[in-house]
Order: sequence, then C-alpha cells, then structure tokens
Amino acid sequence: MTMDARILTKGFELEHLRRIGTYIDQGGYRAVKKALTEWKPEQVLEEVKKASLRGRGGAGFPAGVKWSFVPQKTDKPKYLCVNADEGEPGTFKDRYILSHNPHLLIEGIVIASYAVGIHLAYVYIRGEYELIARRLEEAIAEAAAKSLLGKKILGTAFGLDVFVHRGAGAYICGEETGLLESLEGKRGNPRLKPPFPASVGLFQSPTVINNVETLANIPLIVLNGAAWFLAQGLPKDGGTRIFSVSGAVNRPGIYELPLGTSLRSIIFEHAGGLKPGRTLKAVIPGGMSSPVLLPDEIDLKMDCDSVAAAGSMLGSAGIIVIDDGTPILDVLAKVAKFYAHESCGQCTPCRLGTSWIHKIVKRMAAGKGRAEDVDTLIRLSANIKGRTLCPLGDAAAMPVLAIARKFKGELERAMKGNA
Amino acid sequence: MVKIFIDEKPVEAAEGLTIFKAAQNSGVAIPHFCYHPAFVPEGSCRLCLVEIEGSPKLELSCSTVVREGMKISTQSPTVREARRGVLEFLLAEHPLDCPICDKAGECKLQDFYQDYGLTESVFREFKEKREKKVRIGDKLILDRERCVLCTRCVRFLAEITKTSELGLFERGIRSEIGLYENEPVRNGYSGNLVDLCPVGAITDAEFRFRTRPWFLAKGESICPLCSRGCNIFIDYHPGFSRVPGSAKVYRIRPRTNEAVNGHWICDHGRYGFVEWQQKNRSEKLVWNSGNGTTQMSWSKVMIAIAERIKALRERKQSGRISIVLTTWLTNEELFLIKKIFKDGLGVKHLFFADPPPGTADGLLLRADRTPNRRGAQEMGFEPKPPDFAELSKDTEILFIFGPHLAGSAGDRAWKSALEKIPVKILVTSHLNELASAADFVLPAAFIAEKSGTLTNEDGRIQRIEAIARACADVRPEAQILLDLAREIHLDDAYFKALSGPGSIFRALGKDIRFFEAKP
Repeated sequence: MTMDARILTKGFELEHLRRIGTYIDQGGYRAVKKALTEWKPEQVLEEVKKASLRGRGGAGFPAGVKWSFVPQKTDKPKYLCVNADEGEPGTFKDRYILSHNPHLLIEGIVIASYAVGIHLAYVYIRGEYELIARRLEEAIAEAAAKSLLGKKILGTAFGLDVFVHRGAGAYICGEETGLLESLEGKRGNPRLKPPFPASVGLFQSPTVINNVETLANIPLIVLNGAAWFLAQGLPKDGGTRIFSVSGAVNRPGIYELPLGTSLRSIIFEHAGGLKPGRTLKAVIPGGMSSPVLLPDEIDLKMDCDSVAAAGSMLGSAGIIVIDDGTPILDVLAKVAKFYAHESCGQCTPCRLGTSWIHKIVKRMAAGKGRAEDVDTLIRLSANIKGRTLCPLGDAAAMPVLAIARKFKGELERAMKGNA
Repeated sequence: MVKIFIDEKPVEAAEGLTIFKAAQNSGVAIPHFCYHPAFVPEGSCRLCLVEIEGSPKLELSCSTVVREGMKISTQSPTVREARRGVLEFLLAEHPLDCPICDKAGECKLQDFYQDYGLTESVFREFKEKREKKVRIGDKLILDRERCVLCTRCVRFLAEITKTSELGLFERGIRSEIGLYENEPVRNGYSGNLVDLCPVGAITDAEFRFRTRPWFLAKGESICPLCSRGCNIFIDYHPGFSRVPGSAKVYRIRPRTNEAVNGHWICDHGRYGFVEWQQKNRSEKLVWNSGNGTTQMSWSKVMIAIAERIKALRERKQSGRISIVLTTWLTNEELFLIKKIFKDGLGVKHLFFADPPPGTADGLLLRADRTPNRRGAQEMGFEPKPPDFAELSKDTEILFIFGPHLAGSAGDRAWKSALEKIPVKILVTSHLNELASAADFVLPAAFIAEKSGTLTNEDGRIQRIEAIARACADVRPEAQILLDLAREIHLDDAYFKALSGPGSIFRALGKDIRFFEAKP
C-alpha cells in the first residue's frame, strides 16, 4: 500500500485539521490567496479545464467545461450549489472531507466562485450529516472571521457568502435539479432539461452545481498547476479518486488512489481482500446505480472511460464487494427496494417501473418467484432505462438489468420448485 | 422557418416550435397525457417520446424544439415500444373499472392502449389500493386509483386560476394528488379539471353515473351567461324519435378558441347553462283569459295576437305597442324586432330587461351577464331598463321577451305597471311570476334550440346552432316574429324573403355595416 497518492485526504490523521489554525499551519488558504491576488478568473477557469478534473459526484462531467457554460454577462445573480447530499448507496467519501477537512472545501468554493463570478454559494448537505453540517458551519464562521469569506476577501474586491442547507433525506435531492427545487423550498422533483442549470438554475438564475470532492480538488490545481494534477491521474481524467470500499472485504473504508488504479488491486491490496475461505462473486464499482461486474471483469482501470468501456460506470466510486456468501437475490432485493422507495414519482416509467420491479423481487424473495420473472425484470428495466425524466430511472434500471442478465442462471435456479 | 422531416415526410416548421406542435400542424398526432397547450411542458408522462436521428436516447416531443434538418420518427419500433412500455406501466396499476367509469369512451388511456398497447398482462402482483371517491370540490370527485399523475389539474390551478388548491403528495408509487389541509377546490373554474383529466380520475358530480359519453351527441355553441361569449360544446342526448321532448342536455364543455376563452369556461356558465336548459322551462302555449287558463295552438295564438295589433293599426295607434326586450336574443331576432316593431309599427317605448350584472372574476366571467348587449348596441338599440311609469301610461299591447323583467326591479313596480296594460304577451323560454301576469305565454327556444348569431363584448359575431329541441311546442323567437309579421301583413315582400337565420343575417348586414360579411 502506497501513501504517496494522497492529496485530498492528506493530513486527515491530524486531530485539529478541521480547525482553521491547523489548516493554515499545514499550508491552507494559500490557493485562495494565489487565485484572488495573482490570477484573473479566466486563468483559474483555464487551469481547471487543462487539469481534466471530472465531476466526482457520479456523471464524471469535466468541471471546467461545466463552469464555462455559465454566461459571462447576465443581469441575474449567479449561484454555486455544492452537492453534499451524498446519497448513493456505497458512497461515503464526501463526509470525510466535510468532517475532517472542511476548509479544503471552503477554499475550493471560494476559488470556483471567483472563477465563475459568483457571490453566493449554498452547500446542500445530506440531512443525516447533522454533526458534519454543524462542523461545516463552524468552519465557515472561522473562515469569515479571517476575511476568507464575506465582503472583500483578503482585501480584494471579491466577496462571497456561503450558507449550509440541510436536506431532508431524499435520494432524489442529490440529483442536481431535484437539489435546486429542494433548495428553493419546493418538493424535490427533478426539472426537465434543457434548460440546464448553468443557464437557468437556482431561482431561475445561472448556477454551477459541483460535488464536494470535485471542489476539494480546486485548491490543489491552483497551487500545483494542471500539469501536476494530470500527473496524479490520467491525461483525460486528472487527479485521484477517493474510493469508498464496502462489503465483503477485510478493510472497508475510504482509499484515495490515482485514477486508473486497478479494481483488483483496490479490493485485494488496499482493502485487504476477502474473508478467509470466501470467493469473489460480484463487484458494484461506482455506487449502487452502476451495473455489477463479475470476478473476471475486475482487472479494470478505475477511471471514467475504462469503467464505461467495461459496461459499467465509475459513478461515485463507491465500490461494493459481494462474496459467495451472499445470494444474488438478496442483493437484487436491496437494490429494488431502494429505488422503489426513492423514486420521486414524477414520471411514469420510474414511478411505476421501480415499484413493479420491487413487487416482483419481493415475491421472488418470499419464495413465490417463477422462472419467467427474470425475463420480466429484464424487460421492465429496459423500458425504464433511457425513458425517464431524470437519471434516477437509469440508476434504478441499470443494476437490475445487469444482475438479472449476469446472474440469470442463479436467479432461475432459485425459482425452481416454487409453485 | 426550418425544414424538418417527420416520419420521412418533409415539413416546414416555425423556428422555436416544439416537435409536438410541428407534428400536430402537419397532421401527425403524438400521444400524450401531461402535455397541454396552455401549460409549460412537464415531461412526466413520457408518452410523447420520439426518435431523432443522431440522438442516443428518445426525446420528448413536447419540449424539444425543432432544428434545421431534424429527422424525427414518431412511429419507429423503438418509439412504439417505449409507448407500449409506458402504457403497460400505467395499466399494471390501473383499476380497469372502465365499465363503471364515466370517462370510458372518451378516455385517453383507453384510446392509447387501443393504438399502442394491446399487450397480454404479465402483472402478477397486488395492485395498490387507493381511495376511489375523494370529494375535492363542490362538484369534483377524485379517484386516486385511476389517476395517471399527469398533474394537469395541479398545473391548471397553479398557472390559470392561481389558486393552487391541489398538490402532489407523497412520493414514488405512493404519490397522489391531494388538497392542502383539506381545503376544497373552490374557484369559479373547477369544472375544467374534469375536462383536463385525461382519464376518469376527476369526475363531475353533476355528470357522474348519469349517462355514457357514447350516447351523447355534441353540438357547437356559445355560452349565453355573460358577455364574454365563450365557445362551448353542448353534449346532449338526441332523444328518441317517438318520445317528444326526450332530448336532454347533459353537460357543457369548453370549445377551444384562443381569441375568446382559450381552453376554458367558468363554472357559472358550465353549470348555469345546464340548469337554465333543464329547469322552469316554458313549454306550453297558454292564454290566461278572464275565465282561467287555456292551452292553445300556435296558429290560433298568432291570429289572436295579430287581430289585436291590426285593430290598433286601423285606429292608427300602433305606437301604443310597447316592448321589453332582452339581450339574450340573437342578432337576427333583435333585427326582426327592429324591423317589425320599430320601423314597421313605430313603437315608441322600447326597454330591455336583462339578468342583473354580477361580478367580473378577472379571467373569463364578465360583470355583464348577457350574451348580446354589444349586438343590440350595434343595431342602434339603447339597452336601457324599463321606465314603468312611462310604460304603463298609454300602452295597449306589451310584448315581453324573456323572463328577466320579473327580476329586474322591485316586485311592485312591474306588477302594478302590468296591471294597467290591457294586453300582455310574454315570449319566454323560462317560466317565473311573469307568466301568471301575462295574457299570452309563448314558449320560446333556449340557446341550444335555436340558430343565429351573438355578438360578444369584443364585437365578435359568433354562431349558435339549433342542436337539441326540447319540446314540440317550443319555437325560436325568430320564427315567432316572422309568423307575426306575415300575420299582420307588414311589408309582405320583405318578410317573405326572410326564411331562416342565414337570410335574416344577410338582410341585417345590408342594413347595418357592422354586421356586413361576418361571421
């Protein structure tokens, strides 16, 4: 196990890193000073673009490109929304950044806002992260007290206010437009796109929505340059990723590793491999929404493009390891229940499809399944995928499709003998 | 304009138009639940998905704007499969209680299933149980099992009436339409929710279980209950040929006219119309002589009335005929009255008795609750209320059109005035106290039973058609007036040429420029 790769989680072992004093002692807030006093906003944007920083939330969209979609000239205010809703099952990386090093995020928020011309940022944080939200608010107060937030940051003309908004527990509010609706005080139903948030977002104004980990990378890019950042990862996918590894491994937890690290090494070297006597059955590589991979598919570079080429997705880099002790029907039951529960109900295929799938899987789990149910699951998932208003439909359909296809034999065998 | 291809057919479409509208304009219908031309696209039903060449996924036709050279398929196997999939999802949880559903026969879910579904059911699970008769308004009943959650009702109340009584509650499969704090839908436009609902989820308490849509014929007409002149459909049962008066109007629905009423009508018109159509109708020809009440035939009545007029004319006293009109009358009828009474007989006292004004609601309903005041004004009438003192001074014969005189002033004023007039002829579609005060009561047609035109507040001349004939004795006022003109031999050549509303309107156009070459 190499510790060299850590750039985001560096210093997490320090007891008071979340305090601004320790953070500054460790070299913190130099990036804000550099960006605000030495660089023009366009230069920041250009550097982030060059760094090939892809979104860490799940979609993997290049952050710099996203920022550049925001109109330069507008008579409306612009907003930054930090997506700290971290709801994807199997993902628990943002909470570590928020709780261990909130100032790194705040620094990222200030620089991103400076680059895009934003003076008001919201952190939409998962409702369950109560303590973390409080810590973040403390950190924001600390930063404001040191003129790192508020009017005339570090004596420059640039000003920014940051507010923390706690969610109320819906997975759908992690979807960017659902998040906006929720932040506006409405029911968290996703919006029809286009228009995209970059032009019509929060309160009908141009809005950037970035994941916590994405923004935490910004100070590092500003301090060390795009070339350095690219060297930490891959040419089209710069930097590191914080992998959340859970399930049937000896050492579950977060692992910050260069993009392109192989899935096999993450499971068997970093996370300590499986329990004695167990064999690998399946791996969910990028949060529960990503299609499962079989044991013969894990010699795979973990970066957006490679995982996509293998028919899955890097998503939120939440790796769930499943060994032969878990019946695949149990996995399917969890997946089906989750999405049926979290579907917002707005569009037909997701509302009725996820619940139908859940009903079938529940019946299968109760020992009343029929062999043809597996085909029905495949057909129904295919009718959800690509046909819904927001990505939740795909997120619900893809894992079911993959499990039903890749484990059809096991599922049908389990149905045998049922009346 | 951009050139696009819809199902391989080249089509010109205006820039900024959605695929849905471009297709509609070229005669291609795309199935949909949530889309409605009056609302911002919602994109939630997922039924209007189409295939666009070069696009990896199916796209929403209701919100995607056309681009030059776009190749759209509305019938490709993928599109049909997607529609089939959506319908399968909806039907899986649908109660399938079509046999007792009021919407059956005009239900979009039924129609689309016929076009795209027709699948064998593979749904083996338990359907969700939901409430089936939630009273959400005075006349509105919500069936949550039938609801497809298109949210048209929610958006109508949010975007059009801006009252937002309904909202979306719960989520996922438990999502449902509901009231906030049980405050019912209470605005003057609630009936539109029934028309808007593509399925039988919101039904009308007035229409519920009364008939089946396929028994009803529909006629185009104009709502007479205010000066807006909203375009309507009258849905009526044509009746049975051997049963006189068996035709029946069941409901009124808005007929889209962007220039007048958009897609809506108000409840005052919707429910008021059916009530006027059905209740207190004047159906019999009655003569209240000193010896009691006798029923008469039209020919005898016309002769009796004509004799009285002729007697006055011989004495050169035809100016002692007075008239109380109503702007419920059509342009044609008002014109005949002008020709016969004003120009022909030289009537001096001409008043109007109309329904009292109400309050305008800022949307469609106007304070002026009459359908043709503008027409009367354009014809040179001054729609002034009756001056009873003047009226009773030297009037020998009084013609009263419509029932509104009874409600127009204090009871005593009209009653005592009428007592002083020897002959009172009431031509009315509805009975009230006035009928017992008149000597002759002539049953006239209500709006659905006669043809002609009405002029709305904007000066828009709109046609009404005789649709349902209520009763054998009922005659349109135009016919009564023409018969009277012939009976008293008033300019025979002129009136002989006038046979129906069409010829009367042409004559009206010749006389008064305003009515020329319209509608």
